[in-house]
Amino acid sequence: MKKHIKGLVSLALCGAMATGMFTGCGASAKGKGSNGKVELTLFTGKIETIDSMNDIIDDFNASQDRIKVTQEYQKDASSVIKVKFAANEAPDIMTTYEQEYADSGKYMDLSGQKQWWDRLNPEMKDMCTDVGTGKQYRVCTNTTNAGFFYNKEILKSVGYDKFPETYDEFHDMLTKIKDKGITPWFIFGSEAWHLGHLIEFIPHGYIKQKYGTIDAKKAMLDNDKDKLQYGDPNGAMATFAKNLVQLKDEGLINKDVLTATSDNCVQDFVNGKTAMLSNGMWVLSSLQEADPKIASKIGFAAYPSYMEDMKPVVLNAEDSGYCISANTKHKKECIEFLNYLFKAKNQKKYCEAAGSPSAFKDVDAKWAPENIVKQVKDVTENSVNIGYTNEKPAGFSGDDAGRLVQNLLDGQYSPEKFAKEYEDAWNAGIK
Amino acid sequence: MRSKKIGLHTFMAVPAFVLYGLFFIYPLCKGIGMSFTNWDGLHPAQFVGLQNFLDFFHDKRALHDVITTVVFAAGSATLLNVVGLIYALLMNSKFKGKSFARMCIYMPAIISPLIMGYIWYLLLQPQRGFVYHMMLRMGKEAMFPNWLGSFGSVMLTLVLVNVWQYAGMTMVVYLAGLQSIPVELYESAKIDGANGRQCFKYVTMPLLGTSIRINIVTNIIGSLSVFDIIMSLTGGGPGYQTESLSIYIMRMCYGSKTGYSTAVAMILFIIILVPVLISMRLTRQKGDD
Amino acid sequence: MRHVWKTLRMLLIVCICFISLVPFYILLVLSLNSPSRNFYEGNMFVPDFSLANYREGWEKASIGRAMINSGWITIIALLIIVVFGAMAGYAIGRYRNKFNLIGYYIMIGCMMIPAIIITVPLYSLMIKLHAINTLWGMGCVCAVSALPQAIFIFTGFVRQLPVEIEEAAIIDGCSKWKCFWKIVFPLLKPSISAVIILNGFGIWNNYAQAVFFLQDPKMHNVPLALSVYFQQFAGAHWNLMAATAVIAIIPVLVVFLIFQKNLMSGLTDGAVKG
Repeated sequence: MKKHIKGLVSLALCGAMATGMFTGCGASAKGKGSNGKVELTLFTGKIETIDSMNDIIDDFNASQDRIKVTQEYQKDASSVIKVKFAANEAPDIMTTYEQEYADSGKYMDLSGQKQWWDRLNPEMKDMCTDVGTGKQYRVCTNTTNAGFFYNKEILKSVGYDKFPETYDEFHDMLTKIKDKGITPWFIFGSEAWHLGHLIEFIPHGYIKQKYGTIDAKKAMLDNDKDKLQYGDPNGAMATFAKNLVQLKDEGLINKDVLTATSDNCVQDFVNGKTAMLSNGMWVLSSLQEADPKIASKIGFAAYPSYMEDMKPVVLNAEDSGYCISANTKHKKECIEFLNYLFKAKNQKKYCEAAGSPSAFKDVDAKWAPENIVKQVKDVTENSVNIGYTNEKPAGFSGDDAGRLVQNLLDGQYSPEKFAKEYEDAWNAGIK
Repeated sequence: MRSKKIGLHTFMAVPAFVLYGLFFIYPLCKGIGMSFTNWDGLHPAQFVGLQNFLDFFHDKRALHDVITTVVFAAGSATLLNVVGLIYALLMNSKFKGKSFARMCIYMPAIISPLIMGYIWYLLLQPQRGFVYHMMLRMGKEAMFPNWLGSFGSVMLTLVLVNVWQYAGMTMVVYLAGLQSIPVELYESAKIDGANGRQCFKYVTMPLLGTSIRINIVTNIIGSLSVFDIIMSLTGGGPGYQTESLSIYIMRMCYGSKTGYSTAVAMILFIIILVPVLISMRLTRQKGDD
Repeated sequence: MRHVWKTLRMLLIVCICFISLVPFYILLVLSLNSPSRNFYEGNMFVPDFSLANYREGWEKASIGRAMINSGWITIIALLIIVVFGAMAGYAIGRYRNKFNLIGYYIMIGCMMIPAIIITVPLYSLMIKLHAINTLWGMGCVCAVSALPQAIFIFTGFVRQLPVEIEEAAIIDGCSKWKCFWKIVFPLLKPSISAVIILNGFGIWNNYAQAVFFLQDPKMHNVPLALSVYFQQFAGAHWNLMAATAVIAIIPVLVVFLIFQKNLMSGLTDGAVKG
């Protein structure tokens, strides 16, 4: 009997290991901490800026004794945030913004925060506005541009001082560059997001230019087929695909388009092996890191027009957005932290570290070398500015769009089939 | 001396069952429940009955992924077993540096898939990778196979990389089986005048039964749920051509078809279960239940 | 004739080892190259022997902390797997009642279910248990995904242990419970090391679950720290990536070398007879 009791005790202890472990030792990430401070979590997938963000957070935590902010970051932030929302456990503040989350009321309405909107560029405020409700669910502290980054010296050597404005001229220029033995345009198609961006900037760019960014956003949200016309065999989508296939067949883009990575692209650009690449402002820091002397050679240009009723377009959009969870228990504290983060001196620090221009009127940051800042200004003033569209159907991400382009480049789709497939995939995501 | 009264010790499996029940079976039941709903992870779920399962059979992308997965698994499970057995036979003999050689073969299996993906891309990337540069130096760059060129060649590459990484694990199990065959059996077979090939056929193979069974079953499960290797080498691309069912499930789950993704996962479970049951039956031995 | 065959076999073995090691060698060469060096220029097989990458990788990737986290997670998970797994394996192997067998077959069946479908429910559960961002929580999750296979191996091994040893001990006045720990558990040693080897590396390298359950940067394990580091700093710097990768491999390799003899004997005696 005694033996039995001993065994029972040991077994109970083992059982306790399995179940009893769950009490007590879990450090709660939410709510009030042990010392009475309000603890907030900032969740981000913007890995590039975690260090400068942590500096600002440390300053904030030291500046007062009521609130403690911690930054959580993850490379796969978009999957993680999905699971967090699904489990109803959103972080207090986050940088991930998706239309479907806004639609289902996951974000707090920030429309009333006049102290931010008054300082923000008006066009950036428009970009932050949800077209469905007319409210703002996020604040973007930065702007970003996307277009062609090119090597001025190479263009000059084939006789171009100015970047062409139409597709035909563009095509001629690429041919001349190719004849010099240089890869004219580098596309790193192994990364689906990059191809998705091409769609976002070029064929979607056409729609956004034709109807204006806001109306285009509405058309996308309502799936207004008369305006979008994705499947039209002579429409912007099919023409874009035709051009891309033509460039590929004529060897005007890199041969290994389907396997090249963004690292390859940066290397080839700084080594003068390729004349241009399409990307956003964020590529500048990689380029300068790979070759500190490259800045003076870099030119920036808009995407040439390729449809009859089109002008060159450049992306001029919001970046570094912050949302507050609709369910946070500490709204006031979240706003207090964002007030601190948005202070002009902190934003200057952030912009300079991120290499990205500010969206606030009162922040004067040296975010890039002088000549690049000037060129970006020229290009945005002289071409049609388009915004970024988050208004995509649920389940049809930019990566998915990019994978369709991979199929096109791989010869699986003809340009017309590609346009049709794109339309089908888009429609399938509309509820 | 089986004790007749039910003692405490018969319940020693309870802690494991409790833990497994809590962290796997309980969430699993909820997950299976999700497969009958149209849950998108955001809005309240609605019961849709078997709709998700019916949708699957009209989902072109998913059906293509089934083909990719099955082709990969057929190639990889077969090759892993053959290569693993050959490695084990080679390593079962006596030679200097045997444990070093075993370690070398097993090593690829211990490296994180994240790092492995980078290494393989560095090695195999067309027109840039290490192998390409080696061939360039030898003036044979034209011979560098465009492994991404066709469905066949890209699948072959994926299978070979998978075999490279996991042949060590298969080998270890075969080796263990080989070593448990008593030497006396070979000796008496030799006395009876059997040559090497006959020894293999009549002594080695029959006694390897259990190892074969373990390896076939684990390799079928592993190959049909392949994720890491494909994700790190092709990302399922170009397009969706090399996407495996596991990758598809992941993308649907974190897209906005969470309910549907669980239904596909249940279908993948059936796809795995069938060959596992068949191979279990085929390799059935005396004494198994 | 025999000699020719032997030489051929040795050659084949050398070839196989070479193929298995090439990627590691390249990783090592890359990690020892100075940042300015282009890998594909000059002699690809002889590095610069520059250790600067290791220093930079160690300082910036917070890999030290990540290794401690990964280490604790691995230890916790392996303890659960070995202790609970061996107990369950003993009960199932020795007492084939309905309760044990049903539990056993459910677990074996669940090995085939893609684990992704439990992600969301498991995440909710982990929050309720306050297990997010804790090493023990992550340890439990890792242990659970390895338990079925471990029990499979232990059950097989227990079944082939002669019952006589236990009977003798019980006649000497030992309780069955004590008898398990004093006699059976030590006899399971080879299969314990097999289970450790087969699962340990996977737990150390866990990314798929860590990405959800270890949010706090202080709790990141090795793959998380590496993925963040690669994204934040290392970008196109192959030498830095390689150096941190090598640092992350070293502890794994050391443990592997210690256990590799046991691995072989463990599998010989245990799993195969399952």
